[in-house]
Amino acid sequence: MASISVPVGGVPTQAAPRPRLRASDFLRWSVDHKIIGVQYMVTSFVFFLVGGTLAMLIRWELLTPNLDLVQTGSQYNSLFSVHGLVMIFLWIIPMFAGFGNYLVPLMLGAKDMAFPWLNAFAFWLIPPAGILMLGSMLVGAPEAGWTQYPPLSTLFSGDGQTLAALAVHLLGISSILGAINFIVTIKNMRPAGMSYWQMPLFVWAILATSIIVVMATPFLAGGLTLLILDRIAGTTFFDANRGGDVLLWQNVFWFYSHPAVYIMVLPGMGVLSDVLTTHSRKPIFGYKMVALSSLAIALVGFTVWAHHMFTSLQPALRIPFMITSMIIAVPTGIKIFSWLGTIWGGKIRFTSAMLFSLGFLSMFVIGGITGVMLAMIPFNLHVHDTYFVVSHLHFVLFGGSVFAIYSGIYHWFPKITGRMLNERLGRWHFVLTYLGFFFTFFPMHFIGMLGMPRRVAVYLPEFQGLNTIASISSFVLGLSTFLLVINVIISLRNGRIAGANPWRSLTLEWATTSPPPATNFIGDPVMFPDPYGYGMPEAAAYLESIDRQFGAPARPPVTDKPAPGVTVVESGD
Amino acid sequence: MQGELSERPLTPQELLDLKNKRTGLAIFQFTWILVFVCLMFVHWWIRGQSPVWPPEGVAKHGVLVPTIMTLALVASSFSARHANHAMKADDRDTFFRHWRIMIGLGALFVLVMAVEWLLVPVSGQYSNLFRVLVGFHGVHALAIGAFLLRVYRNARAGAYSARHFWPVEAAAGLWYFVTVAWILFYVVLYWS
Repeated sequence: MASISVPVGGVPTQAAPRPRLRASDFLRWSVDHKIIGVQYMVTSFVFFLVGGTLAMLIRWELLTPNLDLVQTGSQYNSLFSVHGLVMIFLWIIPMFAGFGNYLVPLMLGAKDMAFPWLNAFAFWLIPPAGILMLGSMLVGAPEAGWTQYPPLSTLFSGDGQTLAALAVHLLGISSILGAINFIVTIKNMRPAGMSYWQMPLFVWAILATSIIVVMATPFLAGGLTLLILDRIAGTTFFDANRGGDVLLWQNVFWFYSHPAVYIMVLPGMGVLSDVLTTHSRKPIFGYKMVALSSLAIALVGFTVWAHHMFTSLQPALRIPFMITSMIIAVPTGIKIFSWLGTIWGGKIRFTSAMLFSLGFLSMFVIGGITGVMLAMIPFNLHVHDTYFVVSHLHFVLFGGSVFAIYSGIYHWFPKITGRMLNERLGRWHFVLTYLGFFFTFFPMHFIGMLGMPRRVAVYLPEFQGLNTIASISSFVLGLSTFLLVINVIISLRNGRIAGANPWRSLTLEWATTSPPPATNFIGDPVMFPDPYGYGMPEAAAYLESIDRQFGAPARPPVTDKPAPGVTVVESGD
Repeated sequence: MQGELSERPLTPQELLDLKNKRTGLAIFQFTWILVFVCLMFVHWWIRGQSPVWPPEGVAKHGVLVPTIMTLALVASSFSARHANHAMKADDRDTFFRHWRIMIGLGALFVLVMAVEWLLVPVSGQYSNLFRVLVGFHGVHALAIGAFLLRVYRNARAGAYSARHFWPVEAAAGLWYFVTVAWILFYVVLYWS
């Protein structure tokens, strides 16, 4: 059931003094954080479609136990390798960088990021890196998985592996530069009167993420430098026959990549904290704990990397890594329970943004629980390198990060474009994504526990039933993405005018026109002291003053009676 | 006119810009030094693969020349510090003197280490590690050295003053980075 706010009587809808941006403005160099944010988002969404296409090819191949779509196992190897690399390094990480770029300065009431030029530079590293990555498929594709383990990546992959490694290297540098920018902006550019404890939780999440980036990504840079040297300069760091060690790569890589999974999910958790409070009209439950648990996840995340190597680790080291891996469920659990406490008893509006956030809550819990299962050594040894792991990582990365990205798109699209997305299409998008996702990845738990290894194109016939369910559901999941694309295209032209603050949210990005003018705010924005103070009388007065200043959202189409499932409530919470 | 301009206190926006740049440089120094830490870790890991280090039949690197060069690099960092302070006090002569000493000592360091890099006998992992570590550091020293030269040229053209000193401070900060990074590698390569 959704409800739509009707503007306070007598308030004009937004007369739009809006920046006239053309599509070409987004294709050239700009130092405006809002344009850069959109550039990040659109670019990474294109790569999402590319990575999704590769995923569809993978699932097509897995419809039957034999080779049919691809001719050789090598082709299949390159499909899943590039799928993983694209989805992680060109979709989720840059997409959240896009959200951060667009929203952090607005949420802090600032005119721009601390280093606008550096910001643009960090973005423009991505297109060439993307071209390198996709080009790698044409010159002897990478076949070593997204983890690029040697000796697969040194002795058994084509030149494409070098290009892919270079691409990831560039993306790592881009991500470091972006993170430096975020940290400086958040540390130095908060408005007078906003302490760290009054920042929106999305900003906290970006801060924690950026801290992980500057502490972890250098190790990826170091490791990739050695990998590239091994491939092109004749060094032997990862060649066990000549004094090297393949486990060296695994340690360096996972010392980056385990923290990196939090790089991929913490911003999503920030999105959730903002969306759940706004759409259930309640203060966040335990603000400080949610903020601090981001930092706790960031720090504990550095102590768990070897749980990816339980099968190759000295047995004495397994236990400590099992314990730290389980401990990290504690700050995550704090967040989950805080969110449940937040929506508990709230005036929930089931908008598309809210639905995707609730989808995140349910799916991420499954991914989290399988994560704790995988942290247990005996179970891990049993399901190591099986579909159970594939299922787990997709539950946290798709059921977690991507659902949060969708939620964020529905929530902030009105601010970015000035128009609302179509809620009916949005709900269809949610239902198809949710079901498609669940039935693609949930059966993989069973496939994995029955013993089907990951990264193979040919499997035993008894796994076919579950694989067929997964494949058909994945096609539904793939198609559901286009509902969002269609929705965006339609809404850009014909969407309802959003007004400054369609969700009646208290954070600062809504205290300006939609889209915001080039300088973000006209005059100094007035901050509400508690970003999640929903339900207070002062909050209602504050929201009314925003409507009065910037114009209220357009009224929904006039109907005699509300559509089924939609209640119209008077605003003024 | 010139004097009046430099008397004016920095505006809040200028102060914020300066603060941002300082924080940004500090974070960059921290994050990029971790790449060097990563390579230290790699060095220890690889030498752990070999029962003796250096491997049997391989001569240990001579330590005398690199030690002198390390001292030269450290001395150049002190010159960078003096030059930086001199610019903020509008003392151009001292600035140029120290900036030249810094560039001279830095160039000497890079040249001598380049010769060491070329002369190291090929011996599998031992020379591999030496070349990768010294080379990786050298690339940074050269890139940042180019920046030092550029700052020198601009300073000769009168680009910097006690009010407009950020490029000087940044160049000095990056040169400290080169020095600290080298000290890490020096300890790992010659004393561990």
